[in-house]
This record gives sequence, C-alpha cells and structure tokens, in this order.
Amino acid sequence: MFSTFFNLGHRAIVTVLPTASGRPAITSSSGGTFFGDLRQVVTDIWDFRELLAQLTRRDIKIRYKQAVMGFAWALFMPVLVVAAGLIIRWAISTVGGAPLNRAGAGELLVKGLCWSFFVGAIGFATPSLSGNTSLVTKVYFPREVLPLGTLGAQLFDSGIGAIAVLVATPFLGALLTPALGWVPLLLVLLIAFTAGTCLFLSCANLFFRDVKYIVQVLLTFGIFFTPVLYDPALLGPTGAKLVMLNPIAPILEGLRLTIFHSHSLLDTWAVTNRHGIEVVTWSPWYLAYSLAWAFGGLSIAAVLFHRAEFAFAEYV
Amino acid sequence: MSNGRTGFIAAEGVSKRFRRGQLHDSLRDLLPTLSRRLVGFGRNGDAPDALRANEFWALRDLSFEVRPGQALGIIGGNGAGKSTALKILTRILRPTTGSITVEGRIGSLIEISAGFHGDLTGRENVFLQGSIMGMPQELIRRKFDAIIEFSGISEFLDTPVKRYSSGMNARLGFSIAAHLDPEVLIVDEVLAVGDFRFQERAFGRIRELVTSGIPVVIVSHQLDRIASLCTDAIVLERGAVAFRGTPSDAIGWYLSGTREALDDENNRSAVRLRALTMIGETALASGDGVEFTLDGSVEDAELLKTEQIVLRVRSAATGQVVFATSMDRCGIETLPAGPFRLRVNLEMNVRTGVFTVEPYVVLRQTGKDVAAGPVAYVQVKEDPGSFGTVQLKPRMRLEPWLQGESESTR
Repeated sequence: MFSTFFNLGHRAIVTVLPTASGRPAITSSSGGTFFGDLRQVVTDIWDFRELLAQLTRRDIKIRYKQAVMGFAWALFMPVLVVAAGLIIRWAISTVGGAPLNRAGAGELLVKGLCWSFFVGAIGFATPSLSGNTSLVTKVYFPREVLPLGTLGAQLFDSGIGAIAVLVATPFLGALLTPALGWVPLLLVLLIAFTAGTCLFLSCANLFFRDVKYIVQVLLTFGIFFTPVLYDPALLGPTGAKLVMLNPIAPILEGLRLTIFHSHSLLDTWAVTNRHGIEVVTWSPWYLAYSLAWAFGGLSIAAVLFHRAEFAFAEYV
Repeated sequence: MSNGRTGFIAAEGVSKRFRRGQLHDSLRDLLPTLSRRLVGFGRNGDAPDALRANEFWALRDLSFEVRPGQALGIIGGNGAGKSTALKILTRILRPTTGSITVEGRIGSLIEISAGFHGDLTGRENVFLQGSIMGMPQELIRRKFDAIIEFSGISEFLDTPVKRYSSGMNARLGFSIAAHLDPEVLIVDEVLAVGDFRFQERAFGRIRELVTSGIPVVIVSHQLDRIASLCTDAIVLERGAVAFRGTPSDAIGWYLSGTREALDDENNRSAVRLRALTMIGETALASGDGVEFTLDGSVEDAELLKTEQIVLRVRSAATGQVVFATSMDRCGIETLPAGPFRLRVNLEMNVRTGVFTVEPYVVLRQTGKDVAAGPVAYVQVKEDPGSFGTVQLKPRMRLEPWLQGESESTR
C-alpha cells in the first residue's frame, strides 16, 4: 500500500505511507488518469465519511437554528412552486381548454419538490467553498465534503417534503403500478446530476466570485426552460424535443409518466394535442441521455474538482 | 512498511512558487487559464522551476527529515516561508517541485479553531472540529470529557460558540487538537493561546507530545520555546534554508542576522565593533557567570567624546532587553586609539531561555544607536530548583530552634 501522486503540470510528488494504527491521515493518490483520479475521489470521500456526516449535520442544524419557520421551511419552496404551477395551469385551462384536474396538482407537487431540491442544493453548494475560506486555507481534508455536505442537508430538507408528497399523491392521482419501480432510479439520477452540478459550481465559484450571481439568475429563469410548471407536450413536437435536452427535463417527465400514467420508461410515450398533432414526450433514449448526464457529469465534475483542489488554498 | 507507531516526516527539495498580486478577478481572463490549470497542461512549455514575471519562490529547495524522537524547529522572520512549509506538510498546498513524505496520523496544531461554527454550541463544535482534524467519532466520544476538562469551559458547553470570548475559543480549539493522539505532530504559532495559565498548560501538553517520541515540526516566534522543545532547528530566509543546527545555534544565528540593517545604514561612528567572543560554553546554569571579549577599534577619536559602547542583554523569547550596561558605568571612560579588547563578565541571574548579548555604539547624550556589533548568545539551562523570571540565588538552611524566642516575638 505504497503509492505516489504525480501531477501532470507539476513535478510534485506526495508520498504517503499508511499507518499501522488507524487510517492514514494523508490519503494516497494514484495515477493522473481520469479513472485513477475518480477512484481517488471516492476513496477520499469514503475515508472522510464521518466528516461528511458532521458537515451535513452542521448544515442542517444551522438551517433550523434561530429559524422562524422550523421544519415548515422544508415545505415552503415546494408549496410555492405548486401554487405558481396551479396558477399557470389555471391560465392555460382558461385559454386553451386543457382541463385542470387533481392529477395535474399531483404532478406539480412531485416535480415542484424535485425542482426545489435541485435549486436549493445548488444555491447552498455554490458558495460552500468560498464561504469556508478559513477551513480551505488552514486544514486539510478532501474539499468535496463541503459542497456534498450542503447537498446532504438539502436531501434532508427535501426528504421532509417527500414525506408530505408521499402522503398527498395517492389522493392526487398517483397510480400504484409496477411502473413505480422506475422512481428510485430517477431519484438517483436527479441526486447524481445535482451532486455533479454542485461540485462543479462550488469549484467555479472559488475561482470566479461572480459565478454565484450568474447561478442565481440562471436558477431564477431556469424554471421556464424546465418542464416543471408545464408538460413538454404543451410546446409542440419541436418544442418538446428542445426542452427535453435540459438534463433535468427527462427526469421530471419520467417521474410524471411513471407515477401518474403507469408508463414504463422503456416505451415511447406520445400524446395527440388539440390540433391533432402527435407529440412524443418520452422515448427510451431519454433514459440513456439522463444516465449520461447524471453519471458522466458527476464523474467529470468530480475529477475536475479533484484536480483543481490543490489550487484552492492559493486562490481563495 | 510502517512498523509499530513510528511516524516520519521528510521534505526533499521542496519548492513553492507563488504569484504576486491578484490572480484572477473576472471570468474573462480566467477561462483560458482555468481550463489549462484544471486539465493540468498549464506549464508544459516551461521548465518546472522557471519563474515567470510576477512570480516568486516562497520556498526554495527545502529538505529535512524528522524521525521519531526528533523535534525540528523552523524559525525565520515574517515572510521567510515558514507557514508555506507547514501548509505543504499538512497537504493544504502542493509543492511546485520536490516531494514530501509523512508517515502516520498527523496532528496539526495549526488554526485550531478554524472549523468552529458560531451558531453551534461548544459541544457540537467539538465533534465538528474533531472530525475536521481527522479524529474518528468514536475517539472524540472517548476523549470528550478529557477535552472539556482540559479546556476549562464546561459551564459553557451548550452555549453557541459565537458568544465565547476569543480566549475561550482558542482554548477549546487547542483542547481538541491536543487530544488527537497524533503519530506525527505539526505545530504552528499556537503556543500563545489563552491566558497565562492556559498557555502553561498548553505548552505542557505539547512538551508531553514531543517527549513521547513522535516526530515533531514546530514553527514559533517564541524562540525560547523552540530552544526548550526542539532537538534540531533550521532558519529560513526568503524561502531558503539559511542555517541548520542545534536550536540554540540556530537562534543565535537568526538573532545576529536580524540586526544587520542598523549596521548598513551607519557608516560614521567612533568605534568599529568587530567580534564578540564568548569564553567557554554557551550553555550554562542559571546564576553562572559568563565571560566575553569584545574586540573593536577606534576609528575616530574626536567622535569618541560623544559616543560610547553599550551592552544589552535581550531575551530571545520576548525580544525584551532584560539588562543593559555601558562602558561608562563599568568605569571605562575612554578608549585608546587603534584596536582594543574589552573583557566583559556577566552573571546570568536570569531564568531558563536563550539570551543574546548585543554590543552597540550609542550617543552619550541621547542614547541613540549609531552602530551595532556582532551578537553572542547564551543559553541558560533549566533550573529545577527555582521558578520565576529572575534568579535570586536562593539559599536556605535550617537553624536550631532557640527556647524562648517564639514568646519574645509574640
């Protein structure tokens, strides 16, 4: 168990010898290859899993300490998203005649919760490195745990919301069918994609402080480019295809179809709109597309983060 | 590879390059650099030890080895590269060239309360800070009571840390760090936390760790602590090792170098001080006498009427002049033209520590320094029989008890 670390641009070598008692304080690094680095990230995080748990607990405690709303906070944003969605649906039904039904409210609830998870996680993760400068410049630990800790706290928040959703959806048109088996996979995709985005943005924000403002703006308007408040079918054949390019879109659409339409994600789903045009909003390719974004994105972000990590203390 | 609980710290040809000024401000000039940096192809065109404009070496070719039982002190002025060296050892920074090896769990007493969050209570912060320092939860739980007792803040355990005084903060931080059970120890300027009593306790704990035989690297401006804790020392100057030797030699070398500035700016003084030589050992017991010879020559007999030689003794620990005398006071009113030798005797009635003896040429009227001479240093060894800041040469003897005396005193 002796390994050396070689950085491409530098001639530096960090040698680490594990100890007889307990885990090594300096974790060994291997190779400079993509997969070598990726494995290193996983090992690092595993070695510091207790710290990750502590940071997650810290972030949860801080959110609920001295907070007026307490746990209601966790429901605040999803509820707002649903309310906004209901208004839009109502407007659409008034103008276009698409009826506003209970299942529509259920779909909004599920998608609203997922969206607020994504937005919340990114909002907290982006400044997580630049906001902990004293840690980043003074103590060694794999820096991944800082953005991932905020992600963990967001998972806790959204978990509370998920309980509420779980209670409500059976009354709002959710169907108990085998198609629900797809839901865990879709949630994993959502979390993986969010984790990758969090790693990338927190790292970028450390180098460029304006990233967090850009992110705020993007997230504010992102909801219009994501089928949260509306269904992709509403945009017509071309519009649906375009909006499904959004990495989040297939996940949300997949959840909607499996939970409320007992649709298997291996089959194509199409609806015929008012003008008699058939709009395809799901094809199995979207599943592959989502998988690629979630795991490819997460891996690339993790490796970029890992390679930039050593420069953090110099750039802060 | 690692046998038993032996740790090991080594640096081999470690250099660190930094850039002056702002690195990047805006996305515009950053995107190209960032992408190159992230991918790691940034410097493929350059030799790895080349300096670009605006770059400088914060550390240049630093090498050392610290084995079990050794404690290395790193001393040097501000900006000499001490902190950079420690950050490289603790893996916060990566060296530009060279390699480091650290074997064993690192206990680093650097920024001991960096992980504290003001909104969390002392208790919560112990667990958070502990895991930031790499302590397993189970170890923290086991040591929790000891940590709290050592810090002395048990009443405020459930108070948010933001209401702590800075001293309490530091004490809690140090207590956590001190219970790490490290296999190698890296200590930055944390010896000066809390009040006097806590400092003594903290110092005691560090001494305990050092004497337990684990390899230690210490950076401190309290030179006497280096002298009493370390087995070896290096002096850093502008990033490079300028001196390497025993702690007291290194401290002496460091202190004599720090006064060169005064020498340079002065070129007109009555006397030129050439050498201050100590006769006998530089390490002695408290209360012992030391003898020096001060060699110099009178350069300008006219000026000698307004100038004289002064001798100052300074504590290396505090930088304070603990004693000063002059040739006037010692009964020498003038010096012959040409070279001379003064013999100086001092009784070191001081406590443990390193002291420098510094000759100066000063103006008689104002006491202003006009020239500085070479420095000698004395290391006063520990005196187990006394405690305090001065040596009062105590003597006690038992006298026979005389009948009737107690009544008369009553």
